[in-house]
Amino acid sequence: MLKIKNLKANINKKLILDGFNLEIKPGEIHAIMGPNGSGKSTLSNILSGKKGYEISGQITFENQNLFDLEVEERAHKGIFLAFQYPLEIPGVNTNIFLKTSVNAIRKAKGETELDAIEFLKLVKKKANELKFDQEKLSRQLNVGFSGGEKKKNEILQMSILDPKLCILDETDSGLDIDALKIVANGVNALRKKNNAFLIITHYQRLLNYIKPDFVHVLMNGKLIKSGGPGLALELEKKGYENLN
Amino acid sequence: MEQQLKVDFENYVKTSKLSSKNIELKRVNFNHFLEKGFPNKRDENWKFSDLNHIISKNIKKLSFYNDFLKSEQVDESIFINNLEHNKLVFVNGKLEKKEFNHEENNKVEIIEDFNLLNEKININSLTSLNNAFTDKHYNLVVKKNYTLKKPLVIYNITNEDVTSKNLNLRFNILLEENSSLKIIDFLDDKSKNNFLNTYYKYEIKKNSILKNYKIDRKFNSNIKYFYNNINQETNSLSEIFILSLGSYFIKNEINCSLNGKYASAFINGIISLKNFQHHEIKTNINHLAESTKSYQLIKSVLDNESKAVFQGKIFADSKAQKTDGYQLSKAILLSNNTEFNAKPELEIYADDVKCSHGSASGNLNENSIFYLMTRGLNYQEAKNLLINGFLLDVIEKITDSEIKKIIKNIMGFKE
Repeated sequence: MLKIKNLKANINKKLILDGFNLEIKPGEIHAIMGPNGSGKSTLSNILSGKKGYEISGQITFENQNLFDLEVEERAHKGIFLAFQYPLEIPGVNTNIFLKTSVNAIRKAKGETELDAIEFLKLVKKKANELKFDQEKLSRQLNVGFSGGEKKKNEILQMSILDPKLCILDETDSGLDIDALKIVANGVNALRKKNNAFLIITHYQRLLNYIKPDFVHVLMNGKLIKSGGPGLALELEKKGYENLN
Repeated sequence: MEQQLKVDFENYVKTSKLSSKNIELKRVNFNHFLEKGFPNKRDENWKFSDLNHIISKNIKKLSFYNDFLKSEQVDESIFINNLEHNKLVFVNGKLEKKEFNHEENNKVEIIEDFNLLNEKININSLTSLNNAFTDKHYNLVVKKNYTLKKPLVIYNITNEDVTSKNLNLRFNILLEENSSLKIIDFLDDKSKNNFLNTYYKYEIKKNSILKNYKIDRKFNSNIKYFYNNINQETNSLSEIFILSLGSYFIKNEINCSLNGKYASAFINGIISLKNFQHHEIKTNINHLAESTKSYQLIKSVLDNESKAVFQGKIFADSKAQKTDGYQLSKAILLSNNTEFNAKPELEIYADDVKCSHGSASGNLNENSIFYLMTRGLNYQEAKNLLINGFLLDVIEKITDSEIKKIIKNIMGFKE
């Protein structure tokens, strides 16, 4: 589904990713762990199409060159990034935003757009699953939301848009244990044979609830070690510095 | 221009049926304008909008005399749909239609007054020009204890029959005690390169409520000045909303005096320009009595080579203790060639007041655009959603839900 070969990325002449390789197949969950400044967020930014990086290397998504696709086209093709810091958008009603988003993607896929009733039905179902207070959906997008509510809102968007590749950028940071469970359950409920997850995190904690198939360690812009779920536990014990 | 002015004025005096006293008053006003001319940037009030320059650049051979002999067809297709309303329809400065079908008899009066009031000439040269050339005043009176059942829409329409003309209109609007009136000023232009000069005088008596919505929505090359002079008595309320989208140049000037205790004024406005227009909102709120309140929120979105100006002043007299004055102006600049000027002013002589003002301008947040694009919206859709969000809270200030809906429609907002 996603193939990254020898990815290098600079921002302001500073090398952030230095020969990064990864392949993700449908149905898999990959976790990338790494210390601060190792390049985790840069990776998720590049996958979703953020400008401002000097990039070399190759990324294909379903055999298509990712660099040929604009930000919104990547979303149309099924790439979703759950932001580490979801933005507050004053004046924009959350429901209107969600409907605009769903229908932009449906339209791009050649599907019929949802009308107001179909949309509300869908949102209601998904919000209930995530125990997301529906009243918040009639408010301005993320404005006045707590850290946990913002993260839940990201997962809500993810479950409504039903993407193929879900990238979770430190979704666990700022979540209390109950919220963490709800978010993890939401992610697990989305698991299917034909979609995949890339979970970026500092801590092993989230991986207690979402079982990854592969764990990778990112340091200084490249993967220095890959393994099964056991690697995360090893990291938790030893720390990044003492990993051999 | 001076020659043309003199010829037009003499022509006007010759054909009018005014008393010699009135003509004398007009001549005083005329001479005041002749001496001062159109305001230019040396005038503090006009330093960001040099009207003299704007007029001389855009209107060749401006003329001032109108005989108003010919009646014009009213293009009813521009009337506001989905809103039952009373109408005054002006075409090229002439009243062509008057309809108060929704109101009780003798509760609303509209009088065409051929007698000029004896008033100060020195407000500014444009009000003098207005006084000199208006052939009559339209006096609207809402009687004591009467609330109009439906809004009044004043259509101010121009068509292809006029060009390079100065058109002046004058309204005196009186809300007697405990009365209430909603007015929509609805502008529509098919004409080119004219100068419209409209003067509103409002008297809002005790416990009365005025709501006024000024809508200039359609792109046109006319130049417009609206002077609004509002006097408010005890416990009265005014709500003004300005939607400034269309004309090449428009300046809405509001001078509001809160003369009685608990009088309050709300002025909200949107300037949204897509071309090379130049719009200004200028306010002057005078808190002259205790416990008066004013609130102003102005938001601008500027694209291409457009320019907007907000000058807002809150004045609190030494008698005006417990004044509550608030003013905020925000602007989004979408291109490098736009210009936004703000001049907020507070002048306070009372010691127990709560007054604040703020002004900010900047670009759209690229990170917010990116966030929306990762959710499938293209660049333009993301931008539009953010701009609409930016403007929406001004529209939400409109307290009349029907009119709010109409304005949302004009802005292309979805419910």
